[in-house]
Amino acid sequence: MDVNDLLIFNKGNELAQQNFVPKLDIEPEKIEEILPKNLIRGELRIPDISEVEIVRHYVKLSKINYGVDSGIYPLGSCTMKYNPKINEIVARMTSFSHLHPLQDENEGALEILYEISKLLGEITGMDGFTLQPSAGAHGELVGLLIIKKFFETRGIVKNKIIVPDSAHGTNPASAKMAGFSIIELKSNEHGEVPLDHLEYAMKQGDVAGIMLTNPNTLGVFDRQIKDITKIVHDNGGLCYYDGANLNPMLGICRPKDMGFDIVHLNLHKTFSTPHGGGGPGSGPVGVSNELIPFLPIPCIVSTNKGIVCNYENHESIGRIKAFWGNFGIVLRAFVYILSLGGNGLKRVGQIAVLNANYLKTLLKKKYNLPYDRICQHEFVLSDKYLPNDITTEDVAKRILDYGFYAPTIYFPLVVNGALMIEPTETESKYSLDKFVDVMNQIYDEAKNEPYKLKNAPSNTPIGRLDAVNAARKPILHD
Amino acid sequence: MDFISHDEKTIVEMLRIINISEVDDLFQDIPKDLIINSLDISNGMSEPDVMDKMREYGSKNKIYPHSFLGAGCYYHYIPSLVDFVISRSEFYTSYTPYQAEASQGYLQAIYEYQSVISRLTEMEVANASMYDGSTSLAEAAIMASIITGKNKVILMEGVHPEYIDVVKTYCWGQNIELKITSEDKLNDTLTEDIAAVMFQSPNFFGDITDVLVLSKEVKDKHPKCLLIQCMTDPTCLGLLKPPGKTDVDIFVAEGQSFGISPSFGGPGLGIFTAKKKYLRKIPGRLVGKTKEVNGDREGFLLTLQAREQHIRREKASSNICTNQALCSLSALIYLVSLGKTGLREIATQNFQKAHYVKKAIASIPGYRILNTKPTYNEFIVKCPNINGLIQECKRVNILPPLQVSTYYPEMLDVALVCVTELNSRDSIEKFIEAAKLAITNKEESAN
Repeated sequence: MDVNDLLIFNKGNELAQQNFVPKLDIEPEKIEEILPKNLIRGELRIPDISEVEIVRHYVKLSKINYGVDSGIYPLGSCTMKYNPKINEIVARMTSFSHLHPLQDENEGALEILYEISKLLGEITGMDGFTLQPSAGAHGELVGLLIIKKFFETRGIVKNKIIVPDSAHGTNPASAKMAGFSIIELKSNEHGEVPLDHLEYAMKQGDVAGIMLTNPNTLGVFDRQIKDITKIVHDNGGLCYYDGANLNPMLGICRPKDMGFDIVHLNLHKTFSTPHGGGGPGSGPVGVSNELIPFLPIPCIVSTNKGIVCNYENHESIGRIKAFWGNFGIVLRAFVYILSLGGNGLKRVGQIAVLNANYLKTLLKKKYNLPYDRICQHEFVLSDKYLPNDITTEDVAKRILDYGFYAPTIYFPLVVNGALMIEPTETESKYSLDKFVDVMNQIYDEAKNEPYKLKNAPSNTPIGRLDAVNAARKPILHD
Repeated sequence: MDFISHDEKTIVEMLRIINISEVDDLFQDIPKDLIINSLDISNGMSEPDVMDKMREYGSKNKIYPHSFLGAGCYYHYIPSLVDFVISRSEFYTSYTPYQAEASQGYLQAIYEYQSVISRLTEMEVANASMYDGSTSLAEAAIMASIITGKNKVILMEGVHPEYIDVVKTYCWGQNIELKITSEDKLNDTLTEDIAAVMFQSPNFFGDITDVLVLSKEVKDKHPKCLLIQCMTDPTCLGLLKPPGKTDVDIFVAEGQSFGISPSFGGPGLGIFTAKKKYLRKIPGRLVGKTKEVNGDREGFLLTLQAREQHIRREKASSNICTNQALCSLSALIYLVSLGKTGLREIATQNFQKAHYVKKAIASIPGYRILNTKPTYNEFIVKCPNINGLIQECKRVNILPPLQVSTYYPEMLDVALVCVTELNSRDSIEKFIEAAKLAITNKEESAN
């Protein structure tokens, strides 16, 4: 079947009336007389389509798309928790949604930015925050530019960063964007950072620090975390905390106390703002006192004149985004923190870990669990012992057939055929049990009816797609 | 209010299955001295209490019914169906469509977004989105440096000052040298070691560049130098010649005008497009169309991922992962809702109305339009009493235009005026009246 017929561009109707433009209430002039002809556009290939057709088209598309509101979304390291509806209502209040970034009389917005900075400070222990970064990777870049500037202003050349092999792919990519080269550190048999290797790497002299995710991507809390940060500090480096996995730490322990100097958070993960199909997110960065002068501009500060913005942060890395960051997202996270409060946040940390361990305990009965210990927010199964040459991808695709979303697959790279599972605190026991039932059934099918996995998914709007050809001869638009 | 389903009995039951006795045991790997007792944050609130509190914050923001302020963030009408579609929770509660078969709806929508942006800009390739206009421009500079293997770029004056700052930061990160130059000095600055010339049109002050002339000037001198255009209000593409027709290599824009509310400046939408020959160096996600492995049905998937960070790690073309997907969905719905007829009409009205205001202001003694080129929906005007103008605007409930001195202290009395289709004749008349009164007030205070 040719999907072209199903694209929006084929639902055009030349007779459609235009409803979205007000009536022109001034006397227009002849365009040709006031705008040179060579600047004027010719053809525009966007059809006129009626509102009914458009709404039906996208409602139809929404029905073949899976979200957290459809069911469990166990995508590891993505923290697919429920997105409270009040967040959406508040973000759409005219007093926020219509606020122009360059207007004054914006005290409400500035107060919110100030207050949430303080709240994130309390949650992470960090002393100062910027809310400018638009996503986690953007926050990483900001954090690394701060490290770069920190050494630059001291006249010290340090152009390498240590990144463990279990790190998110964004870590090395962000480090490179800040001009660093990467020293990859292999995890030890417990999935933790080997201290002797770390010390050796740090001794090289030109190492600016380490980027670490803790709990790491295996869902494991590094028991030697204080030794790690101490070794880095003792050798003149800075410690960067990738906060993608902060959810299980809420109200339990804080990156600053672990010894970190810089932290980025993903508000679209830990703080319940919607993932939106891949953004918009928000990736605030918190720093220790010593690094506050390096934060990007503008900064929000409290003065005797009230809350104001400061455009001249002493040794700032500069501006990293126009205006105020993704305010609409920060606003949602603020509403979430108000709703939960300190007590609620702590419960989030506890139940996120409880749910992950519950799921892990039940799933390891049939699936291989390479790092078998108490996990934090997530855990990683491997493809070891899957019968009949069944692969991780086969299992993932079969999960879709049962109407659930699949875990993160083939990541982290330190586990062969990884299935990385993060249930989050908002899944009920009922939902977790259902997922276990499906996973068990899939295992039995792998043993007895492997073709069901090999041919999966067969119950979705489309079968497995040809990724190789798609990359070889890219078709990217109609 | 914590959105957790478990009661105490359930928790006990789950702990039993895990085979530990209490919740604290789950954190046994964490050194004891790192565990905190509690957070110094007030207890949670009920939904009605949160709503009250947020209304209180909201009441401290002043929202004006009329606006003459733009400067990178614009008030355009947003069709009701835009918010209706993006509020479908199948869309907004999903994530990056890694599992294509369970995400066909969103993947098709992104493919349609890439298509509609290609059609609007006439550029050969559009990606799935970037954070915003400013970071798109910065990434374009980096991309040009990767393509050409040169580490110097030229930025023309007239680019949005906040974008200039962002480009500076990114370039410093990558050790790319940035030269800011004016149009008349371009020829001297444009040496062989330049990777790209970046400009904005319509620019920050409203001027529209004749891009064909510029691209000829650049390419005649250095055929391998890339030309990068940026734009802050791409509604003008309903009227103006698109970048694909003027030999632009990379075109980026802020897409907030396409169905996204101002929201204090974010989230917006980074539109990123390029010529096809640069496809494999483009940052960010791309959705492609393909066929089933074992079948003939066509479907959509994330493609060319070998450029991206999760595969290439430090060798990736950018670190971008999460982008602004839901905002690209808004833009898609906006653009197809307007259609070619609506887009032409919107652009024409912005142009006509701004032109009307420009003429009216210019006819008031003491005001002087500073633009020397044609303008779209923004222009700069030297005012006899800019503070008076701002006060008078506020008095009649108009969000006043930008004082350009905010960014350029030397441009003391200059206002950047923005007029869109939403400025009714009534609001225009009030604005003109305010401009007149500002002079009277000045004379009175002088007396």
